[in-house]
Amino acid sequence: MVNTPLFDRKILVTKRTRALPRLGEHDFLLRHAGDVLSDRLDDIKRDFPTVLQIGARDHDDFTSTIKDRAHAQHITRMDIAPAYLRAGDTHGDEEFLPFAHQSLDMVVSNLSLHSVNDLPGALIQMRRALRPDGLFLASMFGGETLYELREAMAHGEAAISGGISPRVMPFADKPQMGDLLSRAGYALPVVDSDIVTVTYDNIFKLMHDLRAMGESSIIAQRVKHFTTRRFFAAVQDYYAAHFSDPDGRIRASFEIIYLIGWAPHSSQQKPLKPGSAQTRLADALGTQEESL
Amino acid sequence: MADVDPKLLEILVCPLTKTSLRYDREAQELISEAAKLAFPIRDGIPIMLVDEARAIDAA
Repeated sequence: MVNTPLFDRKILVTKRTRALPRLGEHDFLLRHAGDVLSDRLDDIKRDFPTVLQIGARDHDDFTSTIKDRAHAQHITRMDIAPAYLRAGDTHGDEEFLPFAHQSLDMVVSNLSLHSVNDLPGALIQMRRALRPDGLFLASMFGGETLYELREAMAHGEAAISGGISPRVMPFADKPQMGDLLSRAGYALPVVDSDIVTVTYDNIFKLMHDLRAMGESSIIAQRVKHFTTRRFFAAVQDYYAAHFSDPDGRIRASFEIIYLIGWAPHSSQQKPLKPGSAQTRLADALGTQEESL
Repeated sequence: MADVDPKLLEILVCPLTKTSLRYDREAQELISEAAKLAFPIRDGIPIMLVDEARAIDAA
């Protein structure tokens, strides 16, 4: 086990639970990423009888769309925050996945895995729980998310205290995710992303929105002392000076990474062994082969 | 009281040892003999968290 986990998962539960009553007014990113995942699934013409949905914050429309498009007979949702669960769901933790080896045909997760401490471990456990040729389909926040706020907070803090501390959560970078999927044993991994830009009156509106989504920082080593008004004023000034539109509203970027991977199966395409070619490349290209 | 989904019982395992669980319907618990833990079921929701599980004595 990691000695000091990066994220405080107990605080995550508290923040997610607090966000629940008004999440419906602030779930535009969940809905956007959920729609993209539903579209991806629509392109995959296969039946997935048993589905696990990791993260249960989504609107019920998401779960029913996934269920329809997967032609699922059974879908169970799992979340670490029990407030989001109902009978038939599972109260569980991605880092200690309670699902049997090769028991699932599909794992889907919308904007949940970015708050996991041991992402490689969680990916491996999900892959093991999938049957051969089972589908992993997920979205998570990527490294470009809130880069403006991260930079403005670092400048604001440096200007006032002479040092900086982590205030905005770190997110995985897209280029790493393909490697991570391969290393976790997924076949045919596909990784892409989009950026959703949202404008706000000021940083206070942005931070309010993040809290209302249950997405404010859960860094274990986060700043726990009182943050001064001077600090926020400095952050707002820097943010407005560097990342605002002509109308004075500030821009906030959310990068959403979409992941597809498959539990390995003998029917999937694989590279041939080196030296096993049946035709010469030079013939295929219609050129003369030359030694180097 | 909501009973736990039987299909769910087929696919759940102990989160620590990944071994199978015994359903104690009376106590509404899922018993992991390997980990010596009993995971409670509340309102039809199995609580598969080690922190919330009851330690059972090695018999």
